[in-house]
Amino acid sequence: MSGMNTQQRLDALRGATPPRPHDARAIAALAANPGCTRRALMDGAGADKDAAARHLGFPAPFGQSPFAITRGNVFESLVKADGCAELLRMLRELLGLPIAEVAYHDVENVGAHLRHAHTRALIDRAARDAQDAGTLYDHPLLTLRIAGHTAYLEPDVVAFQLGGRFHIVEIKSFAVIDGQADPAAVAAAARQAAVYVLALRTLLEELGHDPLQVSHDVVLVCPENFANRPVATLVDVRKQLAVLRRQLTRMTTLDRLLEGLPDDLTFDLLPGEDGRPTRPVAELADALRRTTARYAPDCLSTCDLCFFCRDEARQEGASDLLGRQVRDELGGVGSVAEALGLADGARDPAAGQEEIARLLRNAERLRRECLT
Amino acid sequence: MGVPGVSLLTSLARLRALDEGIAQPIATVRHCHLRDQPMVFIPLKLSGEAAAPLAAMLGTERDRPRLLVVSQPRNRDLRFAWAAELAGVLLPYIARFLADTETVERRGADPYERALDAPQLIVPNAAGVAFTRLLGRSTRFRRADGPYPVPDVVPLLGRWLTYFGERAAYPGSSLMLAATEELGRHWASGQSSLEDANLAALLGWITEGPSDAAEDPLIWPPAGPATDPGFDAEVLAPAIDSGSAERITEALRSQLEPTWRLMWQAIDLLAGLEAGASVAQRWEQDRGSFSGMAQSIAEGAPPQARRDGAIAAAAKLARMERAQAGYEVQRAYDDPLIMAEYRLTGEAFAGEVIETVPDNVEGEGRSRKLRPLVVIKTDDPVRLPPGASLGTPQRRGQGAELVSADEGLVTVKITKGMGRGKTPTPGAVPEVGERVCYTSLTDDFQGSPNLPDAEATPWTHGGPPQHHAAEHTPDDEDAQEEWS
Amino acid sequence: MSDRLDDLERRIDELRAGVRKAMRARDGARARALRAELRTAERDWDALVSGEQPAAAPEPTPLVTVREQVHQGLRLLGATAQPRLIVAVSEAFLGGTIRSAQLTSLRRDEERSFRTAPYGRPYYLGAALTDRLSPARGLLTLSGWPLERRVVGPLSPRVDFLTCAIAVASQESEDERATRLLGRMARNIPGATNASSGALGPPCPERVIEAARAELAVHAERDTRDRAELARRAAAQLDDAARLFGAATLSTIKKEYVT
Repeated sequence: MSGMNTQQRLDALRGATPPRPHDARAIAALAANPGCTRRALMDGAGADKDAAARHLGFPAPFGQSPFAITRGNVFESLVKADGCAELLRMLRELLGLPIAEVAYHDVENVGAHLRHAHTRALIDRAARDAQDAGTLYDHPLLTLRIAGHTAYLEPDVVAFQLGGRFHIVEIKSFAVIDGQADPAAVAAAARQAAVYVLALRTLLEELGHDPLQVSHDVVLVCPENFANRPVATLVDVRKQLAVLRRQLTRMTTLDRLLEGLPDDLTFDLLPGEDGRPTRPVAELADALRRTTARYAPDCLSTCDLCFFCRDEARQEGASDLLGRQVRDELGGVGSVAEALGLADGARDPAAGQEEIARLLRNAERLRRECLT
Repeated sequence: MGVPGVSLLTSLARLRALDEGIAQPIATVRHCHLRDQPMVFIPLKLSGEAAAPLAAMLGTERDRPRLLVVSQPRNRDLRFAWAAELAGVLLPYIARFLADTETVERRGADPYERALDAPQLIVPNAAGVAFTRLLGRSTRFRRADGPYPVPDVVPLLGRWLTYFGERAAYPGSSLMLAATEELGRHWASGQSSLEDANLAALLGWITEGPSDAAEDPLIWPPAGPATDPGFDAEVLAPAIDSGSAERITEALRSQLEPTWRLMWQAIDLLAGLEAGASVAQRWEQDRGSFSGMAQSIAEGAPPQARRDGAIAAAAKLARMERAQAGYEVQRAYDDPLIMAEYRLTGEAFAGEVIETVPDNVEGEGRSRKLRPLVVIKTDDPVRLPPGASLGTPQRRGQGAELVSADEGLVTVKITKGMGRGKTPTPGAVPEVGERVCYTSLTDDFQGSPNLPDAEATPWTHGGPPQHHAAEHTPDDEDAQEEWS
Repeated sequence: MSDRLDDLERRIDELRAGVRKAMRARDGARARALRAELRTAERDWDALVSGEQPAAAPEPTPLVTVREQVHQGLRLLGATAQPRLIVAVSEAFLGGTIRSAQLTSLRRDEERSFRTAPYGRPYYLGAALTDRLSPARGLLTLSGWPLERRVVGPLSPRVDFLTCAIAVASQESEDERATRLLGRMARNIPGATNASSGALGPPCPERVIEAARAELAVHAERDTRDRAELARRAAAQLDDAARLFGAATLSTIKKEYVT
């Protein structure tokens, strides 16, 4: 048994590498692959996956175009221009916000280190006394505890409505065209907004208020058609919230994931004086391989370590490489060699594999017949 | 579009591909029409914008690509000028096919003119199709007069791009193809379908085996419409800031040329397969649909509505479902490897004829009919009940009925297509020793494919063009919509 | 001279390649240093090609300075406003030529000038003051306005927007940009556009004014009260410079965005 508690062990996992703070996108991505122990441990320890992936020679394939970043910033400032004039119009239409409800608080007017305290005070005041409350809180700073670390979260806007409901407002620059938007982009926005809803509910609970004052309907603001004109839609994030909660609960039980791992296991990059990692690559790779990853092609768009884990899956000949549909089709046959062995009869089915083995043999016979 | 057939056979092919390091065939014939001189079209868009074009490389000859570039992507007027240039290439290509037509007779309706041949657009991937549709959406309501005028060819281009984009979603249509989708219908790679959307990676699997270079944007730039973020930051943004149209053009050329070569490689691969038996028939429907669209434009119909009304949407859905079912049956009849999917699930079986009763009859006197019996020995797991009606790819005009299936022996009774004679015509009944395949999959196409009822045939399917504007008439707002 | 231009062009190309390489290596410091050199080289090239000496490369002085254009824009609007709106008004009604980028350092320059020689200029472009008497982000004011107009309470952004809308609607202009600006503002004021005839077509200025006044009436009392209280505090607690440019707080840690 280990003499260290969970937090000490997580700190040891991260080592001297500075902790990587979680943002809402990172937290949302946690929920994307809840079964992955490697990711749960690295995130739990606050390890810098991006730096690790680069050091391993498998840099993540993501990147954001400067054009997209500029466009996003321009659109957000347009929505918030002139005392959030556009946003007020949309909230009046969408939520029936009364005309008198226009009070605007820019939380960022206080210094960075006071932003969270100021947000807390403003939200507390609103929850206590709806009469005198503000309506729009710009640049609020919320927190959420993720496996022992405090993550700081910056939703675009929090809207408070007479009648005591808080709404998270999420401003995105992907277009809604003729009432339709890219489903993947909407899903990602919903996952991210769910993180904010959870953080705000947690805050209300800590302050002794009813957390359900925060609506599970978030206000998603996007440009409409090909113009810059913003349009707002309510998006129900209950499902995303449920997944997120489950995953966060799971992260608090990291001690179980740590069981069976050696005490001296660490993902430390051993940064040198210039901050560059000095840890031998093979050693870091070995340490990571001590933990079980659950690679799926979806990781390619969500996880910094994806190329490393894909390479590992290739070396292991895991059928996970081919995607969930193939994996489900194979019903529990995990490796490529095993499946092919069952198909050409070189391998006898294990208990419970009789049916899939029969199907694979039949499929193999049919393919041979048709291709020769 | 969607994921190319996910089934155990395909999964097995993917596993085999992964094991052998090279893609495996999942079709024995080509299931799309491929005309000579297709219009290869590779559009690029500006990151972060819904439908702001950046450039396109296009043309019908592999050694003569045309490069059209928005020389200052932040300038809206230049985007429309670019659209006009695009129209200058695409509209004459489309018009080429309008002159030569054939007259098609229809039961209960006036005959109509159908183009003898039709244009074909090929884009790299599904995202290219979606972008084409958006480009159509953003240009078809424009006007050459009024407050925000555009060159007059732009709205016409918009209607055609919309048409091609929508038609691409029609099962079995070949008027607009996405290269990765078509390749994926014919070969299984050893990677996930998500990764198959990368044209360079998929082609790598099919030709030489996988290579990490395919995912390196410096070696193989993305096939669009999205550009590589690194390229945007390090090459394109400085080029735009420099204001030099030449620099921008050369930068974009460097991103498009590699894909241009891949596109023709994809076309060569598909052309190397023999066309399936039903491909010509589906292309005929494409030609009819194309003529219908051309006629509706000629008659002055308004541009396609922004959204279908409820009734039109329901009708369209039903039409697509029928087309999907028909397409799947046709592919199975055309291709034994597709039929194998159904043999695996017991909806089809194949084997050798071991016994026949060619002159078996049923009924007496006038109702006496020839009903030959055929006994087939098969290794397939037959899951069809007695009385199930069957068709066969070997004799498409015939219908049959399953009499019994037991211990690998199946007795089938031929019930349709035997004529009125007292004995079968030679060849109508399979001989002992012949390999045959029967399936419960049947499709109406076996009836009278060329003469559907006019009323029942949607205009997109070669029927009479109907103006579908009843539910929404585009107004000034559409024409003036901002385009930023 | 063309030799020197050639040299500069070669140098610019090298520097660009260097920047790219540094960015690849994620060496931000080196990239920044090279970028700075690159800018100098580009400036020299610009100057040389237009026949001027590198040392003297002043921006051609416009007939009306940027600060004067902003001054006129704010006077027209009559309330605190963001640079974006000031630029739009200046373009639509005053033949303005401001680029937003020119406004970024404006407030700092004004403050420096005031601190060097207080009241040396007839007017200053100041910052609006928040309820903590700190400068409000991105809101400009005029020094000549009463303190009540230069502070912002929770309702003030809305009140000032409505005030600006009335000012814009009261201007006569045939300029298409003016019509578009008014349309954009009107769309966000309940009752300012005629919904039945479609939100298209130019909005009716009288209608915009009427609608804006109607909403103003809802907020006016509380906003006036809030502002009076803030103005009282500002007068009591702040020195002259801070009244114009806001009280420096311990916490004005600016976020640096790397672009």
